[in-house]
Amino acid sequence: MSVLYVALPAALLLGGAAMLACVVCIRRGQFDDLETPAVRMLIDERPLAERDRSNLPETETVTKLQ
Amino acid sequence: MRVSGQDAANVSTEVEERDLVDSVSVPAAFDDSGNENGISSGQLPPRDSVKVVGKATSVPCSHCGLPSPPPASVGDPTFCCNGCLGAYQLIHGWGLEDYYALRDRLGTGGVSAGDSAVNRAVQSGDDPFDELDQTELLGESAPRAVGGGLVASSCSVRGLHCGACAWLIERSVPLVPGWHSARVRMNDHSVELIYDPKRIRLSEIARWMARLGYRIGPLIDNARGAAAVSENRRLLVRIAMAAFCAMNAMWIAVALYAGHFSGISVGHANLFRLVGAGLGAAAVFGPGSLFIRGAIGALLTRTPHMDLPLALALVVGAVAGIVGAFTGYGEVFFDSITMLVFLLLVGRWVQFRQQRRAAESVHLLMQVSPRTAQLVGPDGAVRKIAVADLVVGDRIRVDAGQGIPADGTVVAGQTAVDRSLLTGESVPVEVVVGDVVEAGTANLQSPIDVKVSAAGVQSRVGRLMRLVEDAAANKAPVVQLADRVGGWFVTVVIILAFITAMIWWSSGPAIAVTHSVALLIVACPCALALATPLALAVGIGRAARRRIFVRGGDCFERLATPGTIWFDKTGTLTKGQLSVTHWPGDRDALALVAAIERGSAHPVAKGIVAYADQCNAEPFDATQIDQLTGGGISGVVNGRRVIVGKPAFAKTLGIDLMAIDDDVQRVAADGASPLIYAIDNEAPKVFGVADGLRDDASATVQSLRNLGWRVGILSGDHPLAVARVASSLKIESALALGDLSPEEKLRRIEAKDQAGPVVMVGDGVNDSAALAAADVGVAIRGGAETSLEAAPVFLADAALGGLVKLMLASRGTVRLIHRTFAVSLAYNLVAVALAMAGMVHPLTAALIMPASSLTVLTMILATGTFREGDQ
Repeated sequence: MSVLYVALPAALLLGGAAMLACVVCIRRGQFDDLETPAVRMLIDERPLAERDRSNLPETETVTKLQ
Repeated sequence: MRVSGQDAANVSTEVEERDLVDSVSVPAAFDDSGNENGISSGQLPPRDSVKVVGKATSVPCSHCGLPSPPPASVGDPTFCCNGCLGAYQLIHGWGLEDYYALRDRLGTGGVSAGDSAVNRAVQSGDDPFDELDQTELLGESAPRAVGGGLVASSCSVRGLHCGACAWLIERSVPLVPGWHSARVRMNDHSVELIYDPKRIRLSEIARWMARLGYRIGPLIDNARGAAAVSENRRLLVRIAMAAFCAMNAMWIAVALYAGHFSGISVGHANLFRLVGAGLGAAAVFGPGSLFIRGAIGALLTRTPHMDLPLALALVVGAVAGIVGAFTGYGEVFFDSITMLVFLLLVGRWVQFRQQRRAAESVHLLMQVSPRTAQLVGPDGAVRKIAVADLVVGDRIRVDAGQGIPADGTVVAGQTAVDRSLLTGESVPVEVVVGDVVEAGTANLQSPIDVKVSAAGVQSRVGRLMRLVEDAAANKAPVVQLADRVGGWFVTVVIILAFITAMIWWSSGPAIAVTHSVALLIVACPCALALATPLALAVGIGRAARRRIFVRGGDCFERLATPGTIWFDKTGTLTKGQLSVTHWPGDRDALALVAAIERGSAHPVAKGIVAYADQCNAEPFDATQIDQLTGGGISGVVNGRRVIVGKPAFAKTLGIDLMAIDDDVQRVAADGASPLIYAIDNEAPKVFGVADGLRDDASATVQSLRNLGWRVGILSGDHPLAVARVASSLKIESALALGDLSPEEKLRRIEAKDQAGPVVMVGDGVNDSAALAAADVGVAIRGGAETSLEAAPVFLADAALGGLVKLMLASRGTVRLIHRTFAVSLAYNLVAVALAMAGMVHPLTAALIMPASSLTVLTMILATGTFREGDQ
């Protein structure tokens, strides 16, 4: 049972890492809006004939550029 | 929060509710008197079809869900206005009709009505969005380059209701060339637009969105929003940390308790105890420090507060636990302590989120208003500047239909000014050169130049706003039941803990501490602490679903017992729009009269045009407008000469009024304003317009009276007009006060002779101070921004029926809080008695504590605040 002395801190470390990841996500604003993302996945992509999507920057790049 | 199936059910009941309210057809006060003679509201057949709109036969508009006339054949779409028709056609033309299905599933009832005013303005070239193209006026929304020749701009959006709106906006992007992306954020009602400035302008995007029923405008005053966002994040971070501690402490506790029964080596037990102690200490002094800080604040200000027993239980529990862990004596209760911290934080967050939602929706309404003025330079050139930059002595131009941005004197032009929001007068005032106009009023007829005499905080509106702030600051805060009960609860529990420690001291300090800490934990008002915020948050959320936005839960407590309720008249009890009440002629005459009035922003003109549209009168275009003053209008339509206006105006044009003098008197006696129309050389005829009561005003007043409220009117309008409304609503004349300045309204609200809570319902700037000073202020949609700011309750449906629902819901909510209090207090009494007797093992305590919280939670969620009210 002495494996507990390793397993317990390891479990806490893993849990702590998950918590830190969660905190980072919160601080970056991923939990600010709990409504829109749930609906956005329902927006299905349809072929867009009319416009060239390639020069549309991803939102992530937009945030970085600011 | 949103469960689609349940919500879909709610949608249908809401539609039914709305229909029910509408079906209470109020005999319009101005219609039913003395019309046997020439002037009769019954002479025109289509009048009956007009009335149908308000009755139970109306069907929801296919776009926005407001009551609309039934379609020609069953199954066809029907619309309440041309704006909705336009939006519906556009959505179908783009192949985005999935929007309606999605909306109905997400279930928020209606969407914004299509903006027909915008459509008309766009067609006539007089565009409200042009200022979006002037970067210097955009403030925080100014476009910034994002590479690839594209720019991004964050704007506020008005008209978002649920995810379906976000879907519609984001789906419409690829259909507009040059517009690259839109990311809607529902939480702060903003949208990030990315577009190609070479191919499309921001104002054009705004125009597209306006056609769908959404108004975008520059972001303003982001400080408040930013503060709320960071507060939200701080709470979430605390919750995340508390959850981590709680879950880990929980399985450690399980191991320890299991060891208790089946044997565990001392080394392992100590490891578990130490790790548990670490987690408990982390939970209490990390995320739990919120309560400790609150408790210290309560101690410093010597006000007993809910946080005090919580903090005490947490700190004593943690210290005793740590001592126990290191010495090996006593029990560790870190599982319950960490769980307590976690649950309490969740309760706070739920309440914070609901209140913020309500505040957000109100703040949003204030974001999309013009904040620019047209400055006339010394050379006569006109340019737009921000209202904040106006200084005394500037000469500004105010076009017809625009709001006047500052106080000043008219130096050129003459027009009629709508002062109803500022003073409550229902009839426009004529102004000529030399007259004073005030910020917050609207120019109705023709452009004027104004020399600014006071702007911003110096203007009359600015001074009123200071009154509002003072009134709000002077208001005594409501001591919530939780804090009232919490006060002596704390004292009693602390005393009991001491007594327990004394009783058990003879058995040794370790046992004494164990028992008193067990008492603090079982007596911990965890359920109590959760009950009030949760019940209030649930109430706020359910109200919001019925389009009643409540900021701050104390409104429920204030509204639960009947007191005095004061209504503003213009725009609150009445529609705030003039409508035709007496019409002597036929439909053709109406068509001609409406044609000549169609281009005017004057309330009378709007009333006539609306009436003509309701009667399906044939729309003509006026071929020529000759004379346009505050008193009337004349011109040529279809080759026929038409004159419409006040009797005095008709006289100046040489019309003989002797023959129709009786009719004029009769219309006036009915409480309507008599107006004359004459077509070619036919005999002139008299018709009447009046500011009609809202459809549900009478029913609402009656229901409020049945609930025990004293109902009165505070108005800035002429006392006669007030008396008329009062008599038709059966309000006693002593409670119907007219001709009041905003200061007098405020004094009346603050008067001490009123038993029970004082509620003010209003829509104007002149009501704002009274709204802020009243125990509960209720603002109505369509009113002035300042009234929204001042009032903690906002009826977004522009109907009074919500008031009755709100009163009943308040009663239900407060009753629910009392009931949950009774349950958790009973639980606490039993648990405390057992703990004092030393019969509560910490394991038992850990089991029954969450049980009481669960009971309270179930009770709150299972009780229908509003369903109870609707019965």
